Amino acid sequence: MTDLTLLISELILAGMALALILVARRTQKTPVAAVGTVFAALAAALTSAWILSGGSGTGFGGMIIVDGYSQFFKVLIAATLALVTLLSVRSLEEIPRGEYHALLLLAATGMMLAVSAHDLLPLYLGLELMTLCSYILVGIRIAKPTSNEAAVKYFLLGSFASALLVYGISLTYGATGTTDFTAIASALSGAGQGRNVLLLLAIGLVAAGLAFKIAAVPLHAWAPDAYEGASAPVAAFLAAGSKAVGLAALGRVCLVAYGSETQLLSLILAGFAGLSIIVGSIIALSQTDMKRMLAYSSISHAGYALLGLIAGTPEGTSATMMYAFFYVFMTLGTFGVVIALGERGEKLDGYRGLAAQRAGTALLMLIFLMSLTGIPPTAGFAAKFVVILSVVRSGHIALAVLAVACSVVSAFFYMRVAVFMYMNEPQEPAPSRFPVALSAALAVAALVTLIGGISPGSLAAWAVSP
Amino acid sequence: MNEYIGIAVSLVLAGVISGAMVLLGSTLGKKNPSSEKLAPFECGKDPFTLPMGRFAIKFYLIGILFILFDVELVFLYPWAVVYRSLGITGLVELGIFLGVLMAGFVYAWDNGALNWR
Repeated sequence: MTDLTLLISELILAGMALALILVARRTQKTPVAAVGTVFAALAAALTSAWILSGGSGTGFGGMIIVDGYSQFFKVLIAATLALVTLLSVRSLEEIPRGEYHALLLLAATGMMLAVSAHDLLPLYLGLELMTLCSYILVGIRIAKPTSNEAAVKYFLLGSFASALLVYGISLTYGATGTTDFTAIASALSGAGQGRNVLLLLAIGLVAAGLAFKIAAVPLHAWAPDAYEGASAPVAAFLAAGSKAVGLAALGRVCLVAYGSETQLLSLILAGFAGLSIIVGSIIALSQTDMKRMLAYSSISHAGYALLGLIAGTPEGTSATMMYAFFYVFMTLGTFGVVIALGERGEKLDGYRGLAAQRAGTALLMLIFLMSLTGIPPTAGFAAKFVVILSVVRSGHIALAVLAVACSVVSAFFYMRVAVFMYMNEPQEPAPSRFPVALSAALAVAALVTLIGGISPGSLAAWAVSP
Repeated sequence: MNEYIGIAVSLVLAGVISGAMVLLGSTLGKKNPSSEKLAPFECGKDPFTLPMGRFAIKFYLIGILFILFDVELVFLYPWAVVYRSLGITGLVELGIFLGVLMAGFVYAWDNGALNWR
């Protein structure tokens, strides 16, 4: 029984998902599903804190771990789930509500399982649960051909990436005889300098499978299509949740399981990071669809977040944790404004003259865009500062220079939206009033973005690496 | 190697018995061929055709529901073997497992997946 209490947050989310599935047909026109999802998310966050207050520990034969690291990401996932649910209130007309919320809950269950995994198999199980639900969420608007196309593309590439991860896991098992993180680490350090080709391949494949989840170049091709075809709240969920979980998994695998292979890992991660930053920033320049632009922006942010992991030190991992945390709120905020503006918000031209019509919305968007660019006093600046500091300390000066240069490039496409909002004449009628839930979610995201920029140190105490 | 001898014996036995049946049937049996009888049988469909024409999507729904029970059975068999040593805990755990599976089944039922229309 004590083992099950370690998974209580996951059980709450899964239980709520099952309950929603059972009553799905009878609650289609009511807000029951949304309310239940938000409550389940809050309960999951609170219980994860409560479990950790009893001290960290492992269960299920060492497969599941409860520590500060997993709890940090569980709270982040619960926040993502709650905010995405609040952001979805206007997009529920054309989709089955009960199923939509149940899938969100199950995806979040998989995410939480993945971040508390201390073995490659539960890690894979959690990630698969997350991605399987994501495939359906992307294609849940069955009447829309673009949505179906996006779901099929995402499914094909996603299965390919899952296969890479499983090959990596099986080769790791072949090389070390175990899938447990601690046991892998001790097997690797015990093996000494006898470099095993099998092991190099295994680490590369596991890193590639996880890099797909955070949409790092060259495994990024699914992101723009999936984000464009999915409804905006689902795109936000993928951009924020999938990325946070991929980073959490990479962090634990790199630091705990393959901790002795730092040289190889920093080479692989530096490659992913550098390519993602360059490709994401440059291709985003030519986008006219807002969701595609944010997809390329999220690709470049995956690169920035990876900078922290290159060092292979606990400090670097803490930097990546802070980056993931702030990134989730600023990207959910940006997507929130896109969702709030409806059809108009999906294309770049829709932002012309927004400040004259809705000064408050334009100001919120400006805060989020500044944060994504990395301009103080927003959280994005603090986040970029810590990861670039970490990469400088690890000696990769060229990569740090590249990151700063691409940050300047990215300012062009982020600030172009700001210029459209403030320096152009409105071309479309003013947007209608936003639902309360949507405004509340935007306010929370903006609050975290600002507080994170003014006193980033307040979070640093929580961002403890495994 | 010794533990594989049993498998080898059963393979040989199966081969001999089925081979004998086919052989005896084809030599001693009375033949009365017709085109219908000679066509290969596979669930009422011609097994070798070009993938043209339409196929009712209802079959896929049935296929998915079949997987639900298939998975259930895969887990029930090993549980039944070690039922006594697992005791009441195993019974409760399997009850939860079946409950989760049945929730999916109830959902499908509720939404009309079993209505052949």
